[in-house]
Amino acid sequence: MAATSREGTFRPALRAGPRFDPTAARRPILVFEDVYKSYRPDQPVLRGMSLTIERGELVFITGPSGSGKSTLLRLIHHTEVVDSGRILFLGRDIGRLTVDAVPALRRNIGFVFQDFKLIPNWTVYDNVAIALEVLNLPSRLIRTRIGEALERVGLSGRGGDPAEVLSGGEQQRVAIARAIVGEPALILADEPTGNLDPQLAIDILGLFEDIHEAGTTVLFATHDRTLLDVRPRRVVVLDDGRAVDVPSGLTTDEDDDAHAISDERLAECA
Amino acid sequence: MRASFDSPGKKLRTWRAGRSDMRLHLLTVFSLAVAFVCLAASLLVVTNLAALRDRWSRAGRATVYLRDGTTDAEANEVLRALESTPLVKKVRLVTSLEARREVLADESDKALAALPPSAFPASLEVGFNDEVTHDMLDTTALKLRALPCVESVETYQKWTERLSSLLGGGVTASACLAIIVLAAVVSVIGSTLRLLLHRRRPEVEVLKLVGATDAFVRRPFVVEATAQGAGGAGLALAMLGVLFAIVRGRFDQELVTLLGVPPSFLPWPVIVGMIALGAALGAATAIVSLRRMVLV
Ligand SMILES: Nc1ncnc2c1ncn2[C@@H]1O[C@H](COP(=O)(O)OP(=O)(O)O)[C@@H](O)[C@H]1O
Ligand SMILES: [Mg+2]
Repeated sequence: MAATSREGTFRPALRAGPRFDPTAARRPILVFEDVYKSYRPDQPVLRGMSLTIERGELVFITGPSGSGKSTLLRLIHHTEVVDSGRILFLGRDIGRLTVDAVPALRRNIGFVFQDFKLIPNWTVYDNVAIALEVLNLPSRLIRTRIGEALERVGLSGRGGDPAEVLSGGEQQRVAIARAIVGEPALILADEPTGNLDPQLAIDILGLFEDIHEAGTTVLFATHDRTLLDVRPRRVVVLDDGRAVDVPSGLTTDEDDDAHAISDERLAECA
Repeated sequence: MRASFDSPGKKLRTWRAGRSDMRLHLLTVFSLAVAFVCLAASLLVVTNLAALRDRWSRAGRATVYLRDGTTDAEANEVLRALESTPLVKKVRLVTSLEARREVLADESDKALAALPPSAFPASLEVGFNDEVTHDMLDTTALKLRALPCVESVETYQKWTERLSSLLGGGVTASACLAIIVLAAVVSVIGSTLRLLLHRRRPEVEVLKLVGATDAFVRRPFVVEATAQGAGGAGLALAMLGVLFAIVRGRFDQELVTLLGVPPSFLPWPVIVGMIALGAALGAATAIVSLRRMVLV
C-alpha cells in the first residue's frame, strides 16, 4: 500500500469536527499511561502499565497465558474500559470516548482473532466486505478494495467460496483481509497463529510483516516465543501487570534485569 | 475470477442473513395474518353494516295510515298534497279493500278472511327523493300526523336505529379486537426478533467488532419486522378477499334487493391503513425490543 492511501485512513479519526488536530499526525499512535485494569478486585491484570507505540511500528506483546495480552488489546478496541490511567490513540483518550464514538474508533483499528471470527456460511467476499459496508463506501470501490485485500493475503479468486470450506490458515487470511481492507491506522492481532500449525504460523506472521512494511502499525500478541526468535524485533513483555520493553529481541543484553525475568516467565509457558 | 464473487451491486450486504431465515419469516407472516384476519373480518362486518344503515336511512319510505271512514276524496286530497311536495318522488294509495286483498292473497287464513274491510286501514305509501334526510322525514311525518284523516305515520326509523346500535356494537367489538390483535402482533414479532437475534449473534458480534453503529446493526432487523407486519396484514386481507369473493358468489340477487345494498369489501383507505398499521407495529416493536435486547 502506498503511503498516500494509508494517510487517508487516519483522516476519519482526525477529521472529527472541531477537534481536528494537525499535530496528531506527529504524535505516537498509541500511548498507555499508568493503566490499571482488573476484572475482580483481588486479581488485577494490568497494574500501572505504561507503553508508547510509534506510528508504523511492529510490536510484539508477549507474556505467559493470563498475563493480560488479550485484555490489553481489548482495552484499545474499547471492548473493555480501563479502571484508571489513560490510553491515547492518535492523541485521544479511548477511555473517555462516548458510546457513540466507539464504532468510529473501531473503524480505524483492524482486529485479528485467534478464532478468526468469520461468519461460516458467508462467502469470503462477504466476510471481508462487511468491514467496508460499515464505512458506507460505494459498492464499486468495495469491490476493488476487496480484490486488492484478497490478493495481499494470497486468496485471489476465492471470494465466492463459503468461509467454512476454507482451511484454518486460509480462514485466518480472510480475517486478515477483513482487518486490512479498511486501511486502518492500527492492526491488533490477538494470538492470530494460536490455532495454526507452526509452518502456517510463520506464513501468517510473514503476512503481518508485509502489512507492517506497507506502513501500518501492528500490535501482535502471542505467547509463542519461537515465533519471535527468528530475527530482532521490538518485543514487549507483560510481566506482573506491567509492560517491559525488550527493544532488540531476546538474543541481546543477556544481563538486562527485566529481560531475565521475562525470559524465565516465557520459559514457563513454552 | 471476479465473476465468482457474490454480486457486488447489491446494497446492504447485511441482508444475506435475512435470506437464510426465509422459513422463519414465512411462519411469522402467517401467524400475523391469522391475527389480522380477525380484525379485518370484524371491520368487514362493520363496513357492511354501515352501508346497510346508510342505505336504509336514506331509503326515504313512509306509510301514512288513514283513519277509518276516510273518504276516497279526502284520501286523494292528501295524495295530491303529498305529490306536490318537492321531497316526494311517488305516492300510492292503498285502499282498505286493496290492503285486505293483499293480506288475504298471502295467507289463506279463515279468521283473517272473516274480518271486515274496515279492519284493514287504507294507507298511502310514500316514496321520498334520495336527498331526503332524517330531519326532513321527521318534520314531514309530524305535519302529516296533524292532518285529521291521518291515524299514524310509519317512517321505519326504528330499523335504522336498531342497525345503528348493532353497528355501534360492531365498532366496539372491532376496537377490542384491534387491541388484542395489536398485542398478538407485538408479541409474535418480538419473539421472532429474539430468535433472529439469537441466530445472528455471530454476525452481530462481527458487525460490532468492525465498527458498525447500533443503527447499522438494527437496520435489517427493523426492516424485516416492518416487512413482516405489512406482509401479515397484506396476507390477511388477501385471504379475506378470497373468502369474500366466495361468499359474494353465493349472494343471489334477491338477497341484494331485500337488503337494498350488495355486500362490499373493505374500502381502499382501510386496506392501505391496515397494511400501514402492520408495518408501523413491526417497526415499533423492533425498535423498542432491540433497544431492550442489549447488542453485544
Ligand atoms: N471477561 C473476563 N472476566 C473475568 N476475568 C477475565 C476476563 N477476561 C480475562 N480475565 C482474566 O484476566 C486475566 C488476563 O487474561 P487475558 O487478558 O486473556 O490474558 P492473556 O491473553 O495474556 O492470556 C486472566 O487471569 C483471565 O482469567
Ligand atoms: Mg489471550
